[in-house]
Amino acid sequence: MTKVALTLTVNGELHEVLTEPHRSLLDVLRTDLGLTGTKENCLEAECGVCTVLVDGAAVNSCILLAAECPGRAITTIEGLGGPDGLHPLQQAFIDHGAVQCGYCIPGMILSAKAFLDEHPAPTEAEVREALAGNLCRCTGYQKIADAVLAAARRLMADRGASGEALHGARSSSG
Amino acid sequence: MTTETRVVGKSLPRLDASGKVTGTAVYAADFALPGMLWGKIVRSSEPHARIARIDTERARRMPGVRAVLTAADVPDVRYGGALKDETVFARDKVRYVGQPVAAVAAVTAEAAEAAAAAVEVSYEPLPPVLDLAAALAPGAPLVHEDWRTYTAIPILHRDGNVCNRARIVTGDVERGWAEADRVFAHRFTTAMVHQGYTEPRAAVAAWDSAGQVTVWSNTQLPFEIQNTLAEILQVLPGCVRVIVPGIGGGFGGKLRVGVEHFAVLLARKAGRPVKVLTTSEEELTAAYPRQGTLIELKTGVTRDGRITAKEGRIWFDTGAFAGSGPGVASVATLVLAGPYRIPNLFLEGYAVYTNKTNCGSYRAPSGPQANFAVESQMDMIADALGLDPLEFRLRNIVREGDEGPTGQTLTAVGLEECLLRAAKAIGWENRKPGPWRGKGLACGWWTTTGGSSGVYVKINPDGTVGLNTGAVEIGTAALTGAAQILAEELGVNLADIHVVSADTFATPFDFGAQGSRTAFAVGNACRAAVAELKRKILAQAAAHLRVEPEALALRDRHVVADGTRVSLGEVARLSQLSGGGLIAHGTFIAPPTPYDAKRVEAHVYPAFHSPSFHAHAVDLSVDPETGDITIHRYVVAQDVGFAVNPTYIEGQIEGGVAQGLGQALSEEIVYAGGRVLNANLTDYKMPTTVDVPRVESILVQHPSQVGPYGAKGVGEPPNIEPPAALANAVAAASEVRVMTLPLTAEKIALALRGRERA
Repeated sequence: MTKVALTLTVNGELHEVLTEPHRSLLDVLRTDLGLTGTKENCLEAECGVCTVLVDGAAVNSCILLAAECPGRAITTIEGLGGPDGLHPLQQAFIDHGAVQCGYCIPGMILSAKAFLDEHPAPTEAEVREALAGNLCRCTGYQKIADAVLAAARRLMADRGASGEALHGARSSSG
Repeated sequence: MTTETRVVGKSLPRLDASGKVTGTAVYAADFALPGMLWGKIVRSSEPHARIARIDTERARRMPGVRAVLTAADVPDVRYGGALKDETVFARDKVRYVGQPVAAVAAVTAEAAEAAAAAVEVSYEPLPPVLDLAAALAPGAPLVHEDWRTYTAIPILHRDGNVCNRARIVTGDVERGWAEADRVFAHRFTTAMVHQGYTEPRAAVAAWDSAGQVTVWSNTQLPFEIQNTLAEILQVLPGCVRVIVPGIGGGFGGKLRVGVEHFAVLLARKAGRPVKVLTTSEEELTAAYPRQGTLIELKTGVTRDGRITAKEGRIWFDTGAFAGSGPGVASVATLVLAGPYRIPNLFLEGYAVYTNKTNCGSYRAPSGPQANFAVESQMDMIADALGLDPLEFRLRNIVREGDEGPTGQTLTAVGLEECLLRAAKAIGWENRKPGPWRGKGLACGWWTTTGGSSGVYVKINPDGTVGLNTGAVEIGTAALTGAAQILAEELGVNLADIHVVSADTFATPFDFGAQGSRTAFAVGNACRAAVAELKRKILAQAAAHLRVEPEALALRDRHVVADGTRVSLGEVARLSQLSGGGLIAHGTFIAPPTPYDAKRVEAHVYPAFHSPSFHAHAVDLSVDPETGDITIHRYVVAQDVGFAVNPTYIEGQIEGGVAQGLGQALSEEIVYAGGRVLNANLTDYKMPTTVDVPRVESILVQHPSQVGPYGAKGVGEPPNIEPPAALANAVAAASEVRVMTLPLTAEKIALALRGRERA
């Protein structure tokens, strides 16, 4: 099959990939770029472990073609937080005991990130609705919901401290 | 011993948390090697058929294909647990849809898939045995016509399609019926369900030139896989190294060899590393799910609510191979007895072959099915006698020093406290708080599985501590719990412990991540290691400080004496200069639980070790139109002995309840004509964030005599009671008694319609 050259922006870095046009973003992230923090399971967008952010929105990378992604900003779990420390969501998942086997956690955290970017002060019911596409078989979701709510509070406090207006945060991520 | 602890009993964050939230933790499914091929399995399309012909020629010639295997290419070996009836590939005939017939390896997963599809298999269909009734009918076709020739542990009682009948007989049920004022008989069924781990089963295998193979897999039992692979390959176990890089859930589904043997055999044939990863379809058609069951229970009671006798039978549809069936059927009889004082028992568990996928073990194997029947019937009897279900239970539950069903002496029995605290928390005094709303409860008991554990504990030159264990961190944080015990005893902090685990060549033996045993057994092995290590540390430090070893203690990462101290790191450095470093080997095996051998027959699991006790209570509403259930509150009181890390025990309870609610309300692998109808995660309905209520955990602590600090196994129990608790609450809310799992809204609504018509 004819290969296509793709330039993918992943976690702020440009990657040149020469690949068949029918391959999923998940496959390219894991196999070609070695970014195995994005997990693989059902390959039918049913479980959510492969969730990444594309231009800030949470998507199932198993059913998104890599060839559709040039020019879009892709964020994987490796791109959250950084050498200086963990993202507040990552820290909250640790603090609340929300991690067990951990296989669903990268996707769960990225779904939560996309959601909190648009809904900085959610209720628990809203958090649960937002994460309904991410299956977790270990935790029963309670500590995950607690962690996301705690992270939301901390992000709000951080924004308050930096003087950023709440409505500004809302509109900036649309 | 002082009751004040620094590390155990504290809700400290797990040691592997940051790798898991940053995506740096490597799971078996992530593992890859240079030059690695992809393996794919060709699976049977027929439930029961003779294989007329397998043609692999077209597949072999396809681009990128490096190996094709059928039964003709591998040793003719039958392997298995208690009963050796499995083969790598079907030979001569297939016994379920999904049974491996051939395997291919190719340079990409896609090429392997295409080649697998190109393997041509011709079948001559045979009459299939599609369910328990068909398997048990007189003159039923035999799933294994040569069953008598199979190797099995000698105690099994086998007969045709029955691959074990385990039995408990205590007292005389006839006398019990005579003493009873009323006798109740009921029948229950439960569906086949899948563990639902989010990481597929995965294995990468690579051979070296010396004929040694290394397998990186997400197995729960690396040491058992080492032996099974050696058996399959007909090599010595010393040639097989199994490493578990990381595991994305297992719940019992990753106990037995899953894809490791395919990876190993394909890699040998191709001369290159091979990776095999299952699909969701393979998981739901050809894995090791929980058996569907049929349960019949007959219970005699006096007018004042004392149980005089119980006769019970549970039949497990174990599929085309025994899998865990013979053992699960045995465990089930202890669950059928229930945590009750019953003088006369006649209990049988049957594992039955059918032409379905091979069933295995799933968190508390047999627990939810048998408990659903027992605890549903307890409520039905209480209602018939006009007794409060809590009161009826309290009149019959086991208490300290009582005898278990097979004669074991029960100690550290926290059941009454569990029942009373769960009932109080749910507001039991007001059991029907409104129309279509009701509360239910269920209780049970479970084991802390034995098996031995070994650890090496090493002091690093910086004073940190290496914990080297053959155990698998399956996700429960059990190894963080063991590390807390180690840190407590060595006078260091949890963060000072570095864990290396699950490598059959490099780590000491461990019986594996099964049976709620890891924190319990590895924790005790750590204590044993510290006892030895402490002698070495103190001797080294005493020589350095010029004091008697007896004057020294381990505290705050130091060896301290009156007015002087030396750091653990310094002691380790001194030992490295002179004595090969500070290391100790600690081991643990739970002492056997005495029982009365005359009461059991063909029983693989005759007593529960360091048993735990638990009660679940739920408050819910039933929608009278749709049958939908809304759970308002869910309370669990579990006797954990001692809470090594309360946060992660809550995590076990919350997760176990969620999984139990799935089995109770929505999950079922649906078979029709020997084929699974819902082999995908949309139609196999596991609970999501919006389906699971908040769970309130009450940690009851009646310390066990054997467990570290009194701990008991905690991982499996929360999965046991949800179906029964739900069924009892639904009955309280709607007066509909559903006796089949899953307890779907459809079943409730149909029952309500039926009642309207009546």
